[in-house]
Amino acid sequence: MAKFRYVITLVVVSLGIVSAWQTEVQAEDKLPVVATFSILADFARNVGGGRIVVTELVGPNGDTHVYQPSPVDAQELAGARLILVNGLGLEGWIDRLIKASGAKAPVAVATKGIKPQQMNEEGRIGIDPHAWQSIANAKIYVANIREALIAADPEGALDYRANAEKYLGELDALDKEVAAEIAAIPPARRQIITTHDAFGYFGTAYGFRFVGPEGISTETEASARDVAKIIRQIKAQKIPAVFLENVTDSRLVQTIAVESGAKIGGTLYSDALSVPGGPAGTYIEMMHNNIRELSAALKD
Amino acid sequence: MLDRPPPTDIAIGFRDLTLGYDRHPAVHHLDGEIENGALLAICGPNGAGKSTLLKGIAGTLAPLAGAISLPRLTRRDIAYLPQAADIDRSFPIHVFDAVAMGLWKRCGLFGGIARGENAKIREAIAAVGLAGFEARAIGTLSGGQLQRMLFARLLLQDAALILLDEPFTAIDSKTVADLLGLVARWHAEKRTVLVVSHDLDLVRDCFPQTLLLAREAVAKGKTNAVLTPENLLKARSMIEAFDRDAHSCARAA
Amino acid sequence: MLLHDVFVAPFVEFAFMRRALAGALALAVAGPPLGVFLILRRMALTGDAVGHAILPGAALGYLVSGLSLGPMTIGGLIAGLAVAVGSGIVARTTILREDTSLAAFYLISLALGVTIVSVRGSNIDLLHVLFGSVLALDDATLILLAVIASVTLAALAVIYRPLVLETVDAEFLASVSRSGGVAQVTFLALVVLNLVGGFHALGTLLAVGIMMLPAASARLITGNMTAMTGIAVAQGMLAGYAGLVISFHAGLPSGPVIILIAGILYLLALVFGPAGGLLRRLKPGQHLEA
Repeated sequence: MAKFRYVITLVVVSLGIVSAWQTEVQAEDKLPVVATFSILADFARNVGGGRIVVTELVGPNGDTHVYQPSPVDAQELAGARLILVNGLGLEGWIDRLIKASGAKAPVAVATKGIKPQQMNEEGRIGIDPHAWQSIANAKIYVANIREALIAADPEGALDYRANAEKYLGELDALDKEVAAEIAAIPPARRQIITTHDAFGYFGTAYGFRFVGPEGISTETEASARDVAKIIRQIKAQKIPAVFLENVTDSRLVQTIAVESGAKIGGTLYSDALSVPGGPAGTYIEMMHNNIRELSAALKD
Repeated sequence: MLDRPPPTDIAIGFRDLTLGYDRHPAVHHLDGEIENGALLAICGPNGAGKSTLLKGIAGTLAPLAGAISLPRLTRRDIAYLPQAADIDRSFPIHVFDAVAMGLWKRCGLFGGIARGENAKIREAIAAVGLAGFEARAIGTLSGGQLQRMLFARLLLQDAALILLDEPFTAIDSKTVADLLGLVARWHAEKRTVLVVSHDLDLVRDCFPQTLLLAREAVAKGKTNAVLTPENLLKARSMIEAFDRDAHSCARAA
Repeated sequence: MLLHDVFVAPFVEFAFMRRALAGALALAVAGPPLGVFLILRRMALTGDAVGHAILPGAALGYLVSGLSLGPMTIGGLIAGLAVAVGSGIVARTTILREDTSLAAFYLISLALGVTIVSVRGSNIDLLHVLFGSVLALDDATLILLAVIASVTLAALAVIYRPLVLETVDAEFLASVSRSGGVAQVTFLALVVLNLVGGFHALGTLLAVGIMMLPAASARLITGNMTAMTGIAVAQGMLAGYAGLVISFHAGLPSGPVIILIAGILYLLALVFGPAGGLLRRLKPGQHLEA
């Protein structure tokens, strides 16, 4: 028994040495940053440029709400020098994971300073975490990430400021483009159905209405009453189109579209990017994709 | 099948027959014949291969080696009564329906049961003394009543060769007597009847011929000449020897 | 008028409710008779095991082409049959009994299924495979369910007699006919087929419920095979209809509510069932059946 314990101790100690050594090698090279999901990681890459290496816990097309952390993720966190989270309750699992991994890195909340919106679904009111869907908010994300990177790596401050400046410019241009596209859609047609209620901030920012058949969380099973309600609503309010979303059951939306006579739009990306090179490989591509799909379905 | 045309009075022929499960033979190198119209008891110690031999003849177990020949019979002419313990008595089926299964050969998968056959089924049930039990679930029958029901099914099968596996075990003496009456009737009708039994007194009283089995044939012939103390002792010691050598034997096969 | 609003109006107003009802009824026509046989053959857990076993096949189908009917159905069929037949082969060729190998196979299948779905990185879809979506039955799925129900009833009519006999007295059947093995394999295939059909509507887990619960309940109500099958089908249909009505008015998820209704009917039969329920057994002055 004593011998067994000795062996275990030896293994643990040597693993510790190995991982410490790996961390050091990485640190000499680039700043290791962990972001909880793909959109955050994209912002970080744009601001960090060549000085940092970003790992995302929930990959492309993944659903951050119901994510199951794996041991590799804990390892990533333990080796990180900066941890970026969205906050607003998006990553319910992150606190426990950080504690369990023994990570020492500072945790930066990217939504700091954003005015949270509420989402109201069947009487349950909660904070809407999908703040990045407004480009104005995205700029706050970028600023927060810039400050967090500077705090973690003061030597890179000049680079980070320059990168952020450039990226914020791109976001401004994107904002104007989106606003122009929406102006071309008749106001009465600026409403759609999607399976997931992730576009609240987008709606507020651009005067758009999004209605979802499923509740605040993707974990809820739809009831016949929910589906009936949404069909009645589409008919009553003459909602012109329903959109599939990349992370939930598409069959239900198809049913609703067929029965209500609404048009089925293409794929909107809300919670996660697509794989790199896909229709929404980056945040800017995602917003381009979404506005293109919305215009196609809603313009007469 | 055979080189020479079989003599007309042979019902079953065994040629170097070996039967068993997986690679473990239960009956070895059996040769011999059973003539038409025989009333034959098959006796032997536990593990002698009696039930196995019956399954082989019934065709539910293929020989590992050798052959069984039925020169004048086809499978349709065989009625086989397995041990009552194999029956799932909790199944919700009535006596009438269970007995009607004896008509399988005529009805097969789909065939309905004609009016005349309905009467036949009732007749068979009455013949075994179960009149009035037609609508009873088989789970409510006593051991003796169940065995009577199975004999009614045999009556319906109307077979030239009847194989019974321990039909008189664990039932009351009145039922045994009634069922033996049926066996005697079949014998009188010139059907061939093979009965596995471990009750040597009953065999001596009611069966003119006996096959004493101990994985191979120990003796066959008139019951009194077969069931002698010497033969029985020999059979028991052969089984014990088999049990001792079981491993090497299995490998040799 | 009020009754009409509660019990009929949802189906008049909404096509998806009519589709859900048609799908649920199709499942209730074919599943429970199979469940009756599963129970009488002491194979009640086989349905459960096969239900789990379908997952990796459906998951692979999903990986190939998303939430689409064909590949998921075919994948599920292959996986379900492989486990059902595989465990039968293991039971015949090794010392393990069928229940053990079935349990082993389905646990492997389940783990494999969850792994396959997770590897893709999107874990939400697993829930849709596990829970199905009776409210989102499209034409193709409805046709599939109707075909499965018809095939099941027709095939069951063909193998009914050998299957009964195979269950009651397998040795006897073997002595008069070779149809026992065919009947057994066909029966297993029908179970797999129905669970695969069921998982589109109810998911892999709940599909077993519409098969087993009405059957178990019917066994408590009658000792007559024909009546048992009829009562089981009637209960399955009632559960499907009542579950949808309740889901519509109370806003509860449809699939689970359907199975819950079937479960409530079972619990009622457990207490009041005239052929073996609790009350009957407690009644004084009556002999217990052997």
